Amino acid sequence: MTAAAPPQAPAAAIAVEHVSRWYGNVVAVNDVSFSVGPGVTGLLGPNGAGKTTLLHMIAGLLAPSAGEVLVEGRPAWRDSEMYRHVGLVPERETVYPFLTGREFTIANARQQGLPDPDAAAERAIALVELADAADRRVGTYSKGMRQRIKMAAALVHEPPVLILDEPFNGMDPRQRLHMFELLRRMAEQGRTVLLSSHILEEVERMAESILVIYAGRLAAAGDFRSIRRLMTDRPHVFHVRSSDDRRLAAELLRLECVFGVELDAKGLTVRTADLGQLTRQMPRIARDHGISLRELRPTDDSLESVFAYLVGR
Amino acid sequence: MIRSMPVVAITLRSLLDRRRFWLMLLLAAVPVAITLLGRAVGDVSFSESVFDRLVIQTVLPLIALVFGTGALGAELEDGTIVYLLTKPGRRFRIVLAKGLVAAGLTIALVVPATLLTGLIVATDDPDIIVPAVSYAVAAAAGGTAYALGFMTLSSLTSRALAIGLGYVLLWEGVLAGLLPGTQTFSIRQATLGVAEALQGADDPTLDAATSVGVLAVVILGSLALGSWRMSRYQLRGGE
Repeated sequence: MTAAAPPQAPAAAIAVEHVSRWYGNVVAVNDVSFSVGPGVTGLLGPNGAGKTTLLHMIAGLLAPSAGEVLVEGRPAWRDSEMYRHVGLVPERETVYPFLTGREFTIANARQQGLPDPDAAAERAIALVELADAADRRVGTYSKGMRQRIKMAAALVHEPPVLILDEPFNGMDPRQRLHMFELLRRMAEQGRTVLLSSHILEEVERMAESILVIYAGRLAAAGDFRSIRRLMTDRPHVFHVRSSDDRRLAAELLRLECVFGVELDAKGLTVRTADLGQLTRQMPRIARDHGISLRELRPTDDSLESVFAYLVGR
Repeated sequence: MIRSMPVVAITLRSLLDRRRFWLMLLLAAVPVAITLLGRAVGDVSFSESVFDRLVIQTVLPLIALVFGTGALGAELEDGTIVYLLTKPGRRFRIVLAKGLVAAGLTIALVVPATLLTGLIVATDDPDIIVPAVSYAVAAAAGGTAYALGFMTLSSLTSRALAIGLGYVLLWEGVLAGLLPGTQTFSIRQATLGVAEALQGADDPTLDAATSVGVLAVVILGSLALGSWRMSRYQLRGGE
């Protein structure tokens, strides 16, 4: 009697398993695990968080110090056959300045061993809407055009997995929109798109799921809404100056959403768990008690503090 | 091999596209210019040492150093190597393609310069043809060894230009004079050994077999070491 084999879950396009990477005593990536499937996934984190190190390991350009990276089920490190399935848009802007955009894309197609490299290059160039400038030298391109030709080169063999390191750098709003559209189309075609960014809004507009990395560690992973909620619900700290700080402090402490107020010579430091409620109540309190608000400034709204909160949570 | 053509083309374009090619062309023209100058002032005595001192000891290693380190090191430095590394296929083909371009350009400049110098001298002294051809052949073999050696050096260190220059000036220049034993480990001596053997010299500094052996070891060793290095090459991120 033979038992039917249990249906196997499709392997994730990218699987990162307990991966660490250190340079001497410096740990760039610390025991990170996640998997990425079809669709757009954003790797979000401040500069220096370890995003590029992680992407380089996924792209097989850097060996993990510990753990393993699998792309389409194969180890990424030292397996050049992987590049038949992967396209990489690196962060560094440098592209051979002496080649034209078309020559650069064709060179990439040839190295992939495609049967008709010229036609493949034409398709990729059309996809990134760079046909008009394809015969100009890359050295004369703007930052945004360079990003697009890098994108064409990465897409020339129509890979199922696309990895992009800070792809929106240097793009103007129109080019950004076009890139958003292009990546969304890739996702609709069932490709796996992993892109890194240090700008929250870019990832928010783009990615269905996000990975937040901070100081080399995976701070959060999941769909964007739940992570956004975590970010908004975190405690917020405000600096407030008014015509009567002492009185305002007393009134603010009556609010349930406020859990701390410090008074010093420079004004008030207010801690709240509910940003929305505080910003609604504050003007009302000031009006009712005849207090003039002179300054209301968040002290910890940098992305770094958001990430630090997520890691510490 | 078809897949390596873009690597050859890109390397060739990058080495030809910059001002350094014209500087190298000028450097290669120096032996010709000096010989012409010698003829003009009626001094023909130093003609043969032009091959030895000027071509083999100075012009050849310097041109090979610039092309050898420029072929691979420049791309490792500016990060464009990513576009070659993220392709299927063995990394050996990248190293071989770049090595062939560096060696080919070195030969393309130095060999014609050597032969042209020989032809100028031959107008007075037809016997110079055999030495001229011998030095040209030796320069092709030595140039290949130098270019591949320096290319591989550039895959190991970002200071390949300085270290290569140190090797040529100190190891092959100063030290070889002070400690003759080091001459066995010198591309220059092996190149001169080949030139001397082709001319049928009775008492060469380095015998023909050893000379050819040294050059072969440098050429094959550089290709093997360069491929090994590139197959494990790790990209340092911006973080």
